[in-house]
Amino acid sequence: MSETGVLTTYTATIVFDRYEDIRAALFDAELSRTFDKRSYEDGNIRSGIVSVAHGSTHRARRRIENTQFRADVLRLYERELFPRVMDELLDVLLDADEVDLFPIGELLSVVLAARRAGIDHDAGAVDQLRTLVRHVDAFSQGSAILDAKDPDAVRALVRASYEEFEREFVRPSWARRAALLTRDASGEPNDDELPQDILTVLLRHRSGPALDLGDDGRIVREVATYLQGGTHTSAQTLVNAVDLMFGSPDAIAQLERAAADTLFAQRAVQETLRLRPTTPKMKRRAEQDTLVAGTAVPKDALVVLDVVSANRDPRLFGERPGEFDPDRAVDAGVNRWGLSFGAGPHQCPGRSVGGGFPVPGTFQVDDDHVYGLVALELQAVARRGVRPDPTRSPERDTRTERFTRWSHYPVRFERRRPTGGE
Amino acid sequence: MTGRVSVDPELCIGSGDCVRLLPDAFMIDESLGVAVTLPPAAVADRALLLRARRSCPTQAIDVTDESGDQVRDEGTDR
Repeated sequence: MSETGVLTTYTATIVFDRYEDIRAALFDAELSRTFDKRSYEDGNIRSGIVSVAHGSTHRARRRIENTQFRADVLRLYERELFPRVMDELLDVLLDADEVDLFPIGELLSVVLAARRAGIDHDAGAVDQLRTLVRHVDAFSQGSAILDAKDPDAVRALVRASYEEFEREFVRPSWARRAALLTRDASGEPNDDELPQDILTVLLRHRSGPALDLGDDGRIVREVATYLQGGTHTSAQTLVNAVDLMFGSPDAIAQLERAAADTLFAQRAVQETLRLRPTTPKMKRRAEQDTLVAGTAVPKDALVVLDVVSANRDPRLFGERPGEFDPDRAVDAGVNRWGLSFGAGPHQCPGRSVGGGFPVPGTFQVDDDHVYGLVALELQAVARRGVRPDPTRSPERDTRTERFTRWSHYPVRFERRRPTGGE
Repeated sequence: MTGRVSVDPELCIGSGDCVRLLPDAFMIDESLGVAVTLPPAAVADRALLLRARRSCPTQAIDVTDESGDQVRDEGTDR
């Protein structure tokens, strides 16, 4: 550990690339996500958020935040709220024959991510959504700071974004919820129903000492974390799914199947997550000496978890694991998305929001099945005839070492209104 | 199976994965935000119970047989 509190040198660098070894590492309590132990005021832009919290504080936060990811909430979002919002937005955003799919994916995803996070907004106000997406982009760079090419520039960007995000979005949303909570606690009738979202549960429970939420800034950053997590991964996964389909020998047939069959669209998304994890190499540091899958890991070692390799294990994913095959057979007990959502205590809380529930090997699901929002997005663009733009090339996000991230993905649509469907 | 299934309330974070896999065996106690077992857990499908244990993000689920020994995974790990 350096004198500044930022870990910049390591006692060792240990790489795991086997599925079960990575899984063991993700469950190891001595391997932490904390590389910066400074306070927010001293420069740590991720200070205090649930993603880097430990032990009892982490568990207490996740208990109240996980209430927003219950199956009935997921079904409400994807069956009643999202389809209408998505279609209305696409009608507005597909304003030319050639468009950039990545910002469209961000705008589609940010609507429900904001709602879940507890940011009041007008889902039809595209300029407001674009402002939220601008903040998401900053927060995303902050969450990937370990892989940033210019960490100091990222820190400055994120701090400025937090300030504006708090002033313009969080404080008005906070004030409305605080008033509702006060009336609710006093038994007064409420004209407005208490929202179901992350900000509301944080404000309702913030006095709980285990939550460690006494500092207002932590609540702002926690809400920002959920806004970012719910937007960025979904948008990147949508673009990666389209990119993998475009690259398939039977691209048109796959797009037509996705348009007609929601479960195929979901399998395509889960296959995309496996091949193109948003975080290709997860990183941990050893808080203490530990033993992971038989390997000794010394204190202050950097542990690199090569998820891309693990997700291509032929013993789990069959022959030709590097190929994009949404119909591949995977045994029960193995997630089709591999380890892309992590595992263990810090497993992504929103995995079912984006990727839906696991798909059984029979490809038969019951009426309660959750397909995930990205599958619905993929199906929506497939129904509008998304095709590659032959005149412009996609651009990867060059600000990060993560190869699965795009900044622009030009496409054209054969029609601006959907056709097909089940 | 016949044996004992339990959830450690100190470890559980209420992810709900066990409820999704075995809704007759587990439920979330919303007042605590953690999963609890229901009586049918003791006779639930062993493979699904072991999958629930494996999928639990905090390893809060304990599955023991009639003699009190941990039931070992069979087939989910390869």
